[in-house]
Amino acid sequence: MSLLEIDDLHAEADGKAILQGLSLTLEDGQVHALMGPNGSGKSTLANVLAGRPGYQVTRGDIAFKGEDLGALAPEERARAGLFMAFQYPVEIPGVSNMEFLKAAVDSRAAAQGGEQPSAVAFMQRARRLAASLDLDPEFLKRGVNEGFSGGEKKRNEILQMLMLEPRLAVLDETDSGLDIDALRTVAEGINRFRREDNGMLLITHYQRLLNHVQPDRVHVLAEGRIVESGDGDLARALEERGYAWLRD
Amino acid sequence: MPRAAARSAADGVAALDAAAPLPWLPAAAPASIQAALDGQLARETWKHSPLGKMLQALLDAPVSLKLPLQAVQEGISATPFSSLDAPPALAFDLQRYPLAGVVLALSRDGWLIDVRQSPARPLALAPIPGIQAPLLIRVRPGCRVEVEEGPGHGGVQAQLRFLRVEQGAIVHWSRAELAENAEQWSLLHASLGARARLQLHQHALGASFRRLDSHLALEGQGSSCDWVGAGVADQRRHLDQQHVAEHLGQDARSRAKLHNLAADRGRCSFNGRIHIHPGATGADADLSNRNLALGTQAEINTKPELEIYNDDVRCAHGATVGRLQEDALFYLRSRGLGEAAAHSLLGAGFLAECIGGPFAVQVSECFLARLARAATSKPAGAPR
Repeated sequence: MSLLEIDDLHAEADGKAILQGLSLTLEDGQVHALMGPNGSGKSTLANVLAGRPGYQVTRGDIAFKGEDLGALAPEERARAGLFMAFQYPVEIPGVSNMEFLKAAVDSRAAAQGGEQPSAVAFMQRARRLAASLDLDPEFLKRGVNEGFSGGEKKRNEILQMLMLEPRLAVLDETDSGLDIDALRTVAEGINRFRREDNGMLLITHYQRLLNHVQPDRVHVLAEGRIVESGDGDLARALEERGYAWLRD
Repeated sequence: MPRAAARSAADGVAALDAAAPLPWLPAAAPASIQAALDGQLARETWKHSPLGKMLQALLDAPVSLKLPLQAVQEGISATPFSSLDAPPALAFDLQRYPLAGVVLALSRDGWLIDVRQSPARPLALAPIPGIQAPLLIRVRPGCRVEVEEGPGHGGVQAQLRFLRVEQGAIVHWSRAELAENAEQWSLLHASLGARARLQLHQHALGASFRRLDSHLALEGQGSSCDWVGAGVADQRRHLDQQHVAEHLGQDARSRAKLHNLAADRGRCSFNGRIHIHPGATGADADLSNRNLALGTQAEINTKPELEIYNDDVRCAHGATVGRLQEDALFYLRSRGLGEAAAHSLLGAGFLAECIGGPFAVQVSECFLARLARAATSKPAGAPR
């Protein structure tokens, strides 16, 4: 049983067909990179996987750990171990990062029949992981993403991923808007997360993140379906030649 | 002091002159009160609340002349109005606050709390059922005092408080009205002297009926008030908050910020008025009211009003009514929070900005419980 198996996926948003026959299989321990030009459907795939309202699957199947993902509400997908790092993380004033993270961790633990961590253990872990991502632990007291810089928001997404320890992480253009140092920090977080018992789908425009995170597979998405797959060399070729040659 | 239930509100008001006139309320003759109750201003300001119902409840309610102060501290005295050498000056607009006339007339007495030096501990106002004895709290120049009022009492409630913050004095007033089975009306009528400061935190739940009035008169030069409030009304509960900031002195500053949340069939109303008088040059006033409506049957009424009579002012106001952001809701759900928990957390976050003071923890927990109740009772929501 694969960690993620997408078969002939068709999906639309606002009545517009975007994904048109996408198939992809990702196994435990693998990191796949999904690249493609603007409008090719990369973020749509991420949102469909996470169950965002407004995105409809019109044909095809998505199996996560062998289970039909389409039958699950967004929170059920998260509790089952699916995580999406947002391209544009939402600001939620008045809800502290710590409060939010604790609620998320507790929710996941409850769904999995595990014990909720004590407040002290939780805080110690959150502070340690925040520091490892060059985030001042004081920022855990601030409202979720409230007033954060673009880089802080992306690092906060990685912090959540590390805290929640999902089976599958879908990172939607987490590298966009990051300076070189922040990119390296985020990449270190991603590499720290990488294990034999989880998987990752990195959605990105550029090859630069892949200088720090070595993918097992690289896919190119165009017009809603995968038109090319390969290894890291494919990403480097795209960086040199752009996407146009794939259409030729 | 229980009385026989009045046959009607008009009979009850007419009977208010049975005793001798009150020297501190010459305008309380029944005819004046009845005229104010029938007046255009009362009709307008009670548009979203049942004035007649509240009046009837007050006429039938017991009156307590007990001192509503839990402890009298050094430097503070409490004297009945009837024992004062000179009658207390209780200036207010009877047309705007006709129930203040009713309460004064029904009570026949009240208490002057005179703060002559800064107390070591907060003044804790005890909850007393029925009509409480009117209070005049005088804070002498330079004194600093904290007032705590809460968490309230069920049944019919009326509180009439006058507050005089004299030159350079500072008052922090925190209140939490959390009893849901209450029918309540209250007025805090404050006047501020030169460089006096008043910070007021008001937290309230909807109730069978709850109407909270605050009237802040910035009389002295450089006086300042910050009024911050948060309210939640769910099920069929009712919460009506009225706020007036009157700029009378020069260079005075007022801030008012209220976040209200209505869920189910709850109803939150707010009327915020800034009145800048002709001589109040250099006025700096800001009023903001944000509202969240959860569910299709929740009701929000909000009306900011400005009345400005000079050009040398800075004045801003704003009111919004909205719903929970779908993006934020999805963000929380994508992290494993159920829909009800996500609603509660977002609602609590919206209110948190306006919760503060000594009741903050109690109020936050209380609001969160109401939000959880509302979230779990709401009909099936967002699509999967």
